[in-house]
Amino acid sequence: MKGLVKGLGVTLKALGTKKVTHKYPDVPINMPDRFRGIQHVREDKCIVCFQCQRICPTECINLTGKPNPDPEKKGKVLATFDINFEICILCDLCTEVCPTEAIVMTRNFELAAYSRDELLKDLQWLGDNNENVRQESSNFGAPRGGGKAE
Amino acid sequence: MDPAKLMEQPITWSSAGVYTLMAIGLLLVVIVFVTYAIYFERKVIGWMQFRKGPNRTGPLGLLQTVADVAKLLLKEDTIPAKADRGLFIMAPVLAFVPSFTVLAVIPYTQNLPFADLNVGFLYYVALSGVTTIAIIIGAWSSNNKLALLGGMRSAAQMISYEVPLVISVVGTVMMAGSLNLRDIVEAQAGYFWNWNFLPQIVGFAVFIVAAISELNRTPFDLPEAESELVSGYHVEYSGFRFAFFMLAEYVYVWAIASLTTLLFLGGWHPPFPQLSFIPGIVWFLLKFAFVVFCLFWIRATFPRMRVDQLMGMAWKVLLPLSILNIFITAVLIELGIGG
Amino acid sequence: MIRTEELLLNVGPQHPSTHGVFRLIVKLDGEIITEVQPVIGYLHRGTEKLAESLNYTQIIPYTDRMDYVSAMTNNYVFVHAVETLMQIEVPERAEFLRLIVMELQRIASHLVWWGTYLLDIGALSPFLFAFSDRERILELFNELCGARLTYNYMRVGGVKWDAPEGWIDKVKRFVKDMRLRLDEYHNLVTGNEIFISRVKGIGQYDAETAIQYGLSGANLRCTGVKWDLRKDEPYSLYSRFEFDVVTGQNGDCYDRYLCRVGEIEQSLRILEQALEQFPESGPTMGKVPRVIRPPAGEVYVRIESPRGEIGCHLVSKGKAEPFRVKFRRPSFVNLQILPKLLVGQNISDLVAILGGVDIVLGEVDC
Repeated sequence: MKGLVKGLGVTLKALGTKKVTHKYPDVPINMPDRFRGIQHVREDKCIVCFQCQRICPTECINLTGKPNPDPEKKGKVLATFDINFEICILCDLCTEVCPTEAIVMTRNFELAAYSRDELLKDLQWLGDNNENVRQESSNFGAPRGGGKAE
Repeated sequence: MDPAKLMEQPITWSSAGVYTLMAIGLLLVVIVFVTYAIYFERKVIGWMQFRKGPNRTGPLGLLQTVADVAKLLLKEDTIPAKADRGLFIMAPVLAFVPSFTVLAVIPYTQNLPFADLNVGFLYYVALSGVTTIAIIIGAWSSNNKLALLGGMRSAAQMISYEVPLVISVVGTVMMAGSLNLRDIVEAQAGYFWNWNFLPQIVGFAVFIVAAISELNRTPFDLPEAESELVSGYHVEYSGFRFAFFMLAEYVYVWAIASLTTLLFLGGWHPPFPQLSFIPGIVWFLLKFAFVVFCLFWIRATFPRMRVDQLMGMAWKVLLPLSILNIFITAVLIELGIGG
Repeated sequence: MIRTEELLLNVGPQHPSTHGVFRLIVKLDGEIITEVQPVIGYLHRGTEKLAESLNYTQIIPYTDRMDYVSAMTNNYVFVHAVETLMQIEVPERAEFLRLIVMELQRIASHLVWWGTYLLDIGALSPFLFAFSDRERILELFNELCGARLTYNYMRVGGVKWDAPEGWIDKVKRFVKDMRLRLDEYHNLVTGNEIFISRVKGIGQYDAETAIQYGLSGANLRCTGVKWDLRKDEPYSLYSRFEFDVVTGQNGDCYDRYLCRVGEIEQSLRILEQALEQFPESGPTMGKVPRVIRPPAGEVYVRIESPRGEIGCHLVSKGKAEPFRVKFRRPSFVNLQILPKLLVGQNISDLVAILGGVDIVLGEVDC
């Protein structure tokens, strides 16, 4: 009997406590800075080294480069950059290996769409997704490089 | 027009009209109660679990039950292919009609009885047994082995707990000297220690446990348990037929809560006679609301009992206790103490 | 003589109480179970085969998803295997961070078990109490590594992120609050007579049977065998901290319950000591080559995850991808006692026994 009464006391006390629910989506959620949300790509910083494509565990990044249109600068610039969000697991390895921090995570996570085609995001969309960008650098202590052997 | 006095005169068209209007009024009040009892159950259980209950449909979520009932109405009416059609259709109706008919004998104040039967309590007990038959009919006509198993279990549970339920009330009947519910309440007039829950404390405890089991609520809600294997007697019912079973359950909540208030908590009497300027109906409603809150509170706290432990408790604990209660009450009445 | 039929019941892959997509084919004689056949494989995703074509850092996100309720310990077992093979030394601050997150993860995992076990038995409230506490742990992890369930936090040689400003104080505050909440949990459930009558004496087995079936974790300790890998084969920094190994006596569901709730308390003890001794500063990553290429060889390491003993067998041929990775998952092994335990029991006890074994299907199917 005593156990039952003690249990009743616990629920009665809980009746008066502050509720822990969050009024999402009326009140937006503020994720911490390190939150791994949807990526943001800065076209001008990318040197087309293909490290992100190599490290991605699910092979969801596809990018192509083209020679720099400016005849005086060397190197390549981005032609296309696609991330397939059907298989991206937001693991953050791509931002970890990027030497110029061209690809970074943001704190956005709302990606729901009505059709699968909308989940293939291109360079334009990823460049426009520039709100809530992560401030802290993701290369903290991670091993540099680490791409596939061949 | 005092309904109590009206009943003592021969019946005329106008008094029959008054009765019909009062009956319809009561049924409307009961339906509003069912709607908001479901809402408040979800709210109160939510508050006890660090969350708010429904709060999006309508202001403060008040239209949640309306939305749920609308959903149930719009569902497809499926009847299993090999089921017994007549019985399948009849079972929900048979379950909820007795729940409305027992409301006739419940008085709310001295001057607001509906049917002032001299065998009021016996009428309640007799009719609530019909719901048990309806459950068996529903389980059988579903043509589903698991539904049958669940229906048998719940029928066994309801029959076993009716026996202690009735016997525990016999003590109060003996103290009041009549089965008429108004007389039983009158016998509890005075201060709150006159109310039957203190002199008849064993009977009160047995009644509460048996009542929760009759209502199929946690901790005795095995028939409705979804996380157990056997899904229960209403597994094949969907849409509005299912709503009938739920409606019957919540109307029984009203009936049992009213009975508890009348038989053990002093009905419409205030705890101190000095407070009798507050009308009796207010006291009735306060006590009724408290009993309903306790039912929700118990549901939020306790786990479920296993079916064999349930049956063991009914026959080995509650029945001997209630019979003991009768003997002790009889002895004490004979000796002139109480009653 | 009444001729009774045997009923074949399918506790299907979709069921509120099977904790994932798990199927039990049960033969019933009236109310008594006569035979049980578990069917698994509904969540098989081929992690071990995929690992043969990925390099070591890329495998770490996949390990998160095996036992998704306690992802940190999965991360650790894999990373520890690679470090043992390559003989890399992990700096002290990184090791402390790993230990703190693993113990927090243990508490979170046991809270999930507690809430869902009681939900199966019929109590509605403990589930929400447990999840509101677990939410605080997940918020801590969110601040630390950016995700709430699949952390991808540990790397070969250390951890990815250092603790942000004020994180250690938040953990200290959480530990204090959790102790008070644990008392409330005991008040709500542990003494509850209805709960005790549902789980005492159910699903009983002795130490001999447990050892023969290879059970581990709380399933083994409830029979009285005092075996905890954190004490008997210490890994990480566990040898520095004082804590007890909680054992039961009878080997029934109630003892498993008490063992797990006791383990939450012991984890809080370890956390208090670890937070006290947390080094002020230090590197979070050891000396690791650019490309992780362990020497040819094999290694088997095992650690104590909340479900039991999780092991990782790593075979390397000197390349940047492993030749073979095999995980010894505790839920997979613990499941094997189910057919023996359930025969002869009442069908209403099936849910209580299944819940007491604490399986996560992501781990069973890998």
